Amino acid sequence: MNFNIVKRRRANSKFWNVLFVAAIILVVASVLFPYLWMISGSFKRTIEIQSADYTKPGQEPSLIPRQPTLENYQRINRTVPMLRYLRNSLIISIGTMILAVFISLFAAYALSRLEFRFKRLYELTIYSTQMFPGIAFLIPYFILFTAITRLTGIKLKDTYYGLILTYTSFALPFCILMMKSYLDSIPKSLDEQALVDGCKRPAIIFRIILPLVKPGLVSVGIFAFIMAWNEMLFASVLTGRDTKTVSLGLMEYITTNQARWGGMMAACIVVSIPVLILFTTLQKQIIDGLIKGAVKE
Amino acid sequence: MKITRLNNRAAAFLIGPALTAMFVVHLIPIFFGIIMAFLRIDVSNLSDFPRVPFIGFDNFKYLFTDGSGVGQRFLSSIGNVLIYGLVTIPVGYVIALAVAMLLNREFKGRTIVRGLILLPYITPDAVMYNVWRFIFQSRVGIVNSILSGLGLIREPIIWLVGDNALIAVIVASIWKGWPFTSLMLLAALQTIPQDLYEAARLDNASWFQRLRYVTLPMLWPVSRTLLMLSVIWNFHAFNQFYVMLGADTASKAAVPSVVILREAFGTLHFGSGSAMAVIMLAIILLLTAIAVFTKRERSVE
Repeated sequence: MNFNIVKRRRANSKFWNVLFVAAIILVVASVLFPYLWMISGSFKRTIEIQSADYTKPGQEPSLIPRQPTLENYQRINRTVPMLRYLRNSLIISIGTMILAVFISLFAAYALSRLEFRFKRLYELTIYSTQMFPGIAFLIPYFILFTAITRLTGIKLKDTYYGLILTYTSFALPFCILMMKSYLDSIPKSLDEQALVDGCKRPAIIFRIILPLVKPGLVSVGIFAFIMAWNEMLFASVLTGRDTKTVSLGLMEYITTNQARWGGMMAACIVVSIPVLILFTTLQKQIIDGLIKGAVKE
Repeated sequence: MKITRLNNRAAAFLIGPALTAMFVVHLIPIFFGIIMAFLRIDVSNLSDFPRVPFIGFDNFKYLFTDGSGVGQRFLSSIGNVLIYGLVTIPVGYVIALAVAMLLNREFKGRTIVRGLILLPYITPDAVMYNVWRFIFQSRVGIVNSILSGLGLIREPIIWLVGDNALIAVIVASIWKGWPFTSLMLLAALQTIPQDLYEAARLDNASWFQRLRYVTLPMLWPVSRTLLMLSVIWNFHAFNQFYVMLGADTASKAAVPSVVILREAFGTLHFGSGSAMAVIMLAIILLLTAIAVFTKRERSVE
């Protein structure tokens, strides 16, 4: 009898194992499906996509290109200046990343290590700025940009630094909170000791803290990078001929006259590459950072 | 005393840049935007800012008296974003929790699976929503092809225009959003002490009871934060709608961000655009206040 129970349990657990594997496969498949469609689309000839029709046998949209081609990649820059948009996005995102990392390191250091007046108020403001919907300050922000340009002659719209300033500021609240939880995990006695030894604050931050929070710098940097790479609302108003980013540029493959889905899919893949490289090389830090920044009481 | 003063100065230097950015990009424009909702401001007097007339609530009245029907569109866009949130948030959460629980088990290839499910989160919005837009094309997309292959439809469904548009965006948003939630829940799951499950098992608690009385309560702090953030961020939804449906405010699935963007930068009515932005801000502040209040209530208990 005892034997029977064991046997049943084994059969039971085998059943659950199969179910478990099936569930995992289902999850992975549904995550990967759009990527497969994107990749397959990027290798399809325009004619194949244009004439696709599921009611006609032999012309159904299919996951495997009937006549694979590289022309979408070769022509990536022909109708839409995708490489220029890619350069714009890289400059803006890297600029945002560098600024956000340093500014948030300083601010988080103050929040983690120092007591100062209005500290509570400041922390509260950081939390609340995350709640503001972008659209609520896009209009006045645009008008301020226009006014500043008119008064001082400094161009802000359609410039790299105008966008970098904007995106840095968007990224900062989350970056500061994330960085603070990294700093909180470094023992305070370390910099207190250095202070007693006569070290100055800047030296403490750059010589002692900086090397210790490298993983934090990485996570914060990537968060800021992705944020800037993704942003579309402000970009749709503040970028122009010189600074248009890839997020907006991608839409140009589809016009009222022509739908170049193949070209768009090829561009989608090219545009994702920088982010994917960053992610795969630094997966562990990114995951740690996300958890540190978001799951905090 | 001396130390405090010293710290004040050091702190001022350290938070100075962050504070400046916050004032320049967030606080001053918000303040300015609220004032703008009460001014008659348009392209003609934009440059002459200090002399723009104050008109009280006229911008708000205009929304609902003007023949263009912008106020109606704005109201229905709020409705859309509510429906969108009411579906996306719970469904996304349940999927995220289910997958987090699957991944909480040791198995070969777990790290790879965990990396893979994060792909949607890190792939740029514009990329993925454009891919979904392609997937949902009625003639050349694959959704209709699969549905008809399964014998579920005869006529092709038009997904991205009209009544179905919201469904398409919801599907894409859930796909893009659940991995982040799942990762957070997985991190929280891993902190639940195993003894709790052992004890529950000794009490002959069923799988469902363990979920109900151990897992969910232990996940509540993280879940609450995540849900609160998604409810608020939900109102910011823009990218998915802008990419998949375009800036067409007549669309049955237009959201507030798109309607305001068109009003301000399409028809150049900055005043009425600001009025709608202020209404949205008020809604979000109210939601945040409720969230903070309930949180405090709980911790008092």
